[in-house]
Amino acid sequence: MNKKKGLAVKFGPYGYILPSLSVFAIFLFYPFFKTIYLSLFMTNKMGQAKLFVGLQNYIDLLTSEEFQNSILVTVIFVAIVVVLGMFLGLVGAVLCNKSFPGIRIFSTAYALPMAIASSSAAMIFKIILDPTIGILDKLLHLNINWINDPKYALVCVAVLTAWLNSGINFLYFSAGLAGIDEVIYERARVDGVSPIRQFFSLTLPGLSPIMFYTIVVNIIQAFQSFGQVKILTQGGPGDATNLIVYSIYRDAFFNFRFGTAAAESVILFLIILVLTLLMFRSEKNVNYG
Amino acid sequence: MEMEAMQSARPDAEKEALRERQREEGRRINARARRRKKIFTGIRVALNVVMALFILMPLLYAVSIAFMPSGELFTTSFNLVPRNPTLENFQAAISKVPLGRFVLNSFLVAGLITLGQIISCSLAAFSFSFLDFRGKNALFMLVMATMMVPGEATIISNYLTVGSWGWLNTYRVLIVPYLTSAMGIFLFRQFYKSFPISLYEAAKIDGCPNLRFIFTILIPLTKTAIGAMAVYTFINAWNMYMWPLLVTGDESMRTVQIGISMLNSVDSQSMTMMIAGVVLIILPSISIFIVGQKQLIRGMFSGAVKG
Amino acid sequence: MKRKFLMTTAGLLAAAMALGACGSAGSTATTAQSAASAAATEAAADTASSADSASSADSSATEVAADTQDKVTITFWHSMGGVNGEALTHLVDQYNSENTDGVYVDAQYQGEYDDTLNKLKSAQIGNMGADLVQIYEIGTRFMIDSGWVVPMQDLIDRDGYDISQLEPNIAAYYTVDNKLYSMPFNSSTPILYYNKDMFDAAGITDVPDSLPGIDAAAADLTGKGGAGEAISMGIYGWFFEQFLCKQGLNYVDNGNGREGACTKVEFDTNGGGLNIFKQWKTMYDDGTAPNVGKGGDSGLVDFTAGKSAMTLGSTASLKQILEEVDGKFEVGTAYFPKVTDSDEGGVSIGGASLWALNNGDEAKQDAVWKFVKFLVSPESQAYWATQTGYFPVTTAAHDEDVFKQNIEQYPQFQTAIDQLHDSAPQYAGALMSVFSEARQDVESSIEDMLNNNEDPQEAVDKLAKEINKAISDYNVVNS
Repeated sequence: MNKKKGLAVKFGPYGYILPSLSVFAIFLFYPFFKTIYLSLFMTNKMGQAKLFVGLQNYIDLLTSEEFQNSILVTVIFVAIVVVLGMFLGLVGAVLCNKSFPGIRIFSTAYALPMAIASSSAAMIFKIILDPTIGILDKLLHLNINWINDPKYALVCVAVLTAWLNSGINFLYFSAGLAGIDEVIYERARVDGVSPIRQFFSLTLPGLSPIMFYTIVVNIIQAFQSFGQVKILTQGGPGDATNLIVYSIYRDAFFNFRFGTAAAESVILFLIILVLTLLMFRSEKNVNYG
Repeated sequence: MEMEAMQSARPDAEKEALRERQREEGRRINARARRRKKIFTGIRVALNVVMALFILMPLLYAVSIAFMPSGELFTTSFNLVPRNPTLENFQAAISKVPLGRFVLNSFLVAGLITLGQIISCSLAAFSFSFLDFRGKNALFMLVMATMMVPGEATIISNYLTVGSWGWLNTYRVLIVPYLTSAMGIFLFRQFYKSFPISLYEAAKIDGCPNLRFIFTILIPLTKTAIGAMAVYTFINAWNMYMWPLLVTGDESMRTVQIGISMLNSVDSQSMTMMIAGVVLIILPSISIFIVGQKQLIRGMFSGAVKG
Repeated sequence: MKRKFLMTTAGLLAAAMALGACGSAGSTATTAQSAASAAATEAAADTASSADSASSADSSATEVAADTQDKVTITFWHSMGGVNGEALTHLVDQYNSENTDGVYVDAQYQGEYDDTLNKLKSAQIGNMGADLVQIYEIGTRFMIDSGWVVPMQDLIDRDGYDISQLEPNIAAYYTVDNKLYSMPFNSSTPILYYNKDMFDAAGITDVPDSLPGIDAAAADLTGKGGAGEAISMGIYGWFFEQFLCKQGLNYVDNGNGREGACTKVEFDTNGGGLNIFKQWKTMYDDGTAPNVGKGGDSGLVDFTAGKSAMTLGSTASLKQILEEVDGKFEVGTAYFPKVTDSDEGGVSIGGASLWALNNGDEAKQDAVWKFVKFLVSPESQAYWATQTGYFPVTTAAHDEDVFKQNIEQYPQFQTAIDQLHDSAPQYAGALMSVFSEARQDVESSIEDMLNNNEDPQEAVDKLAKEINKAISDYNVVNS
C-alpha cells in the first residue's frame, strides 16, 4: 500500500500530463523533427529526402527576394490583424460593459464572427469586394479592384481576418471587464475622473491579465491564417499576400519542393518562437493585482 | 421611559428634518442622474447599433445574396436586397451535397475535440501548477513550444502516420490528433496560478483524491477559462480545412468546410448557390452559438476568478 | 504504475460522463454537447427528408455491395464538384445499377484538381489509394514519370478497342511516344465570349480574331457600345499556354516536352512569350483589358454583369454564363484570339483525363477499363457534354439526340467544336513535370508586369529563369 502510494506520488504528476504529451509526441514532435530533417535536403516528388544540401535551402530562402517579401508581408498582416481585431473586440466589450436594453442582442452580434469559418467568410468577402458586382464599391461609389490591386489586397485579407477574430476577442475582453471591480469606477466618478481617463487609467490596466493572453493568441493565430488567403487571393496579386504559411503550402503541394517548404516552416517556427519568448519576458512586468 | 422618549424626540425631529432635506437633495440628484443615465443609455444604444451593423454587415449581405436569383447579383446596379427573393439557391445547394451530414460530422468532431481538450488540458495544467516533479519546467516549455509549430509543417508526416495505422476515413483520425492543446494547458495553468496552493493542500488533508479535486473543485472554479477555451477550440475544430480534406475520402465522412468547397466548383461558377450553401452551414453554428451563449457568457462572467 | 494509469483512464471516462450528465460542472461543455446532439438529430432529419437522392444512393451502394460479394469494387477519385460532380455521380450510379460486368465503382470526390494530385502523392507514399483517378491536363507529365500508372494504351490494346472514335485533337494531348497514356474525359477549349448587343450598338460586325484587333475595336465598344471595358481577360496561365499554341510556338524544349522530359523553356528564345506579354501590356495600358484578377473565372463576372464587351473563358463555362446573363443581352462566341494577325496555330485543350493506377490486380484493371469504356461511350459523353459544357471526347456522341438538342438550344457551343476541329494535333500543347508551378509563375509574372509597370522583356526573362530553375531542380532529384 505504502509502496503503491509512493509510486503514485512519484509518477502521478507525469500521469496527468501523459494524455496530452502522447498526442503531442506522435502528432507534433515526431513530424516536426522530420520537418527539420527534410529541410536539410532536396526532396523528390514523393517528398523523400534525396540530396543532402545542408543549409542551402535556408540560404536560398533568406537571400531570395520572394521569401523576404513573404516575411515582410506576414509581419504587416499580423500587425493589422492583431491591432484591428483586438480593437474591434475591445470596442464591443466596452459598449456592452453595462447593462442596457438589448444588450443580449448586441453582445451576440459582436461575438458572432467567431462562429464563421474562414473559408465561408472568404467566399462572402470575395463577392463584397468584387469591383463589378461587389457591394463595397457600389456603396462608396468607387471603382477599386480591392483584391487584385497590390495596394489593397493585403489590407483586405487582414481586415477580413481581424473581423473573424474580433468575435473571440470580444468574449475575452468581456470576461476581463467583468472581472474589474465596479467600486473603483464609482470612486473615480466621485473624484470627477472623465470617462476617457477612466478607460485609460482603470479599464486598460484592469484588462492586462486577459490582455496578455489575448495578444499571444491573436499573434499566433494571425501567423497561421491560411484559408482566407487560399480562397481570396491565392497569395496574389504578384506576391502581395503571399504569407509565409501560404508560401509553405505552395512550395509543398504545388512545387514538389518539400525541402524548401520544410525550411520555411522552420523559419516561421523560429519567428514565432522569438516573438513568444519576448512576450513572456514582458509578461513578467504585467501587474496581476 | 417616557421621559427618555420625550427627551430624544426633539433631536429626532431635527434629525428627521435633516434627513428630509438630504432626501430632497438626493431626489434632485437622482432625477438628474436618472436623466443623465437615460442620455448615456441612449448614446450607448446608438453606438451599439452602429457597431453591430458594422460587424454584421457581411453576414446580412450574405443572407441577402443567398435569396437572390443569380441574374440579380450579376449587375452593376445597386442591389443590397433581392428584388425577387427566391429559395432556389438553397434548394440547389441542398440537392447538390448532403449538407446535413456534413454539419452532423462537423458537430461530432468539433464537440468531441472540445470535450477531450478540456479534460486533457485540465489534467495537465493541474499537474503543472499544483504538483512538483522533476523536469516540470522543461516539460512545460516543451508543451508551450508546440504552439509555435505551424500546422503545415507536420501535415505530411501525420498523414503517413495515420495512413500506416489504417485510420483514414474514420472519425478518430479527425479527432485524436487534436485531443490536446498547448493553448488550453497554458490558459488553465494561468488560471490555476491565481489559486492559493492552500486550496489544494486543504483538499489533500480532507482526503480528496487528485482527480476528484480536479473535477469537483478546480473545474467548477475555472468556468471562465473553460468557457473561453471551449469556444475557441470548437470554432477552430469547426474551421479545420486541410486535414479533413486529406484524411477523408467518403462523402459520408466530410466536414462542412470540405462540403462547402464542393459547391465551389472549378469550371462553372454559381456564386449565389455557393453563398446559399455558406449561409446554410453558418446557420447551425450560429444558432448553437446563440442558444448556448447565455450559459457561455454566464460561465465567463460568474467565474470566481478574475480573468 | 500500471494500475495508476488504469485509474487515470477510468477517471477520465468517469469525468467525461460526469461532464455530460451534470449541469453545474463545466456548463459550457454540456452546452456544446447537448447542442451537438440536438443538431445531430435535426441534421439527421434534414438529411432524411431533403437529401433523399444522396441517401438513397448511399443505401443502394450498401445494397449492391452486400448482395454481390464477388463483385470487383474499384475506387475512383475525381475532382468534379458542384454541377459537374452531380453529372458524374449520375453516370457512376447508372453504371453501378446497369452494368453486367460485375463491377462496382466507389466514386470519391477529392477536392479540386490540385488537391487530388496532392492526395494521390500522399496516398502513393502511404501505399493505399485509388484504382482510377482523374488528373488535370497539366499533371500529365508528372503522372507519366511517376511510374504509378498503367498506360491506358495497354488496356486499350488488350481489349482491341478502337480509339479512332476519340476526338483526334483531344487524344493528341494525352498521347506521348505514340501511346495514349490516359483516357480523356472532360475536355474543354478556351473561346472568346462577346456581348452581341454592345457589338451592335458599336456597329461592329466582324468579331475581332486577334488581340490587336480587340485593341482596335476597344474605343468603339466603350464609346458607342456603352461597355465599361472592352475585354475582361483573367490572368490565367492556361491562356498564356493557349496563346503560345495559337502562335504555333513551343513552351519548352524537347518537342514541347513530348519527345522527352523538357530541360528548359523555349518561349523566351522563340519570342512567343514576349509577343504575349507585350500585347497584354499594351492592352492594359490602353485600358482595353484592365486587370480583373487571377484565375480562369476572374474575367467572367464582369462579362455576365454587362460591364465588359468580351471575355476569355473555357467552353465549360458556357452554360453558366448563359444562365447568369439570363437574357439580359445576347451572348456570342468566337474563336480564341490570335496574338498577332499572322498567327497560324491552333488551340490546345484543358480539363482532365482518367488514369489507371498500377495496383498489380488484374481483375481490378479489367474493371477499371470496363468503367472507362462506359464513361467514354457516345451515350455517356453526350449526357456529360450537355450537363456540363465539356466536349464529348467521342465523335459519335455528336449523333446522339441529347447532344443535338443541346446544340440547338445553345448554338454558341458549335463555335467550340469548330475551333477544335480547325486545330491540329501538332498544337497539342506542352508537357512539363512542374507545370502547376510554371502556371502559377506565369500568372504572378503577368500580374507583376501590369501592376509594377515592368518591361515585358525583363518580365519574360525573369519568368524563364524561374521556371528553368524549377525544371532543373526537379530533374536533379527525380531522374
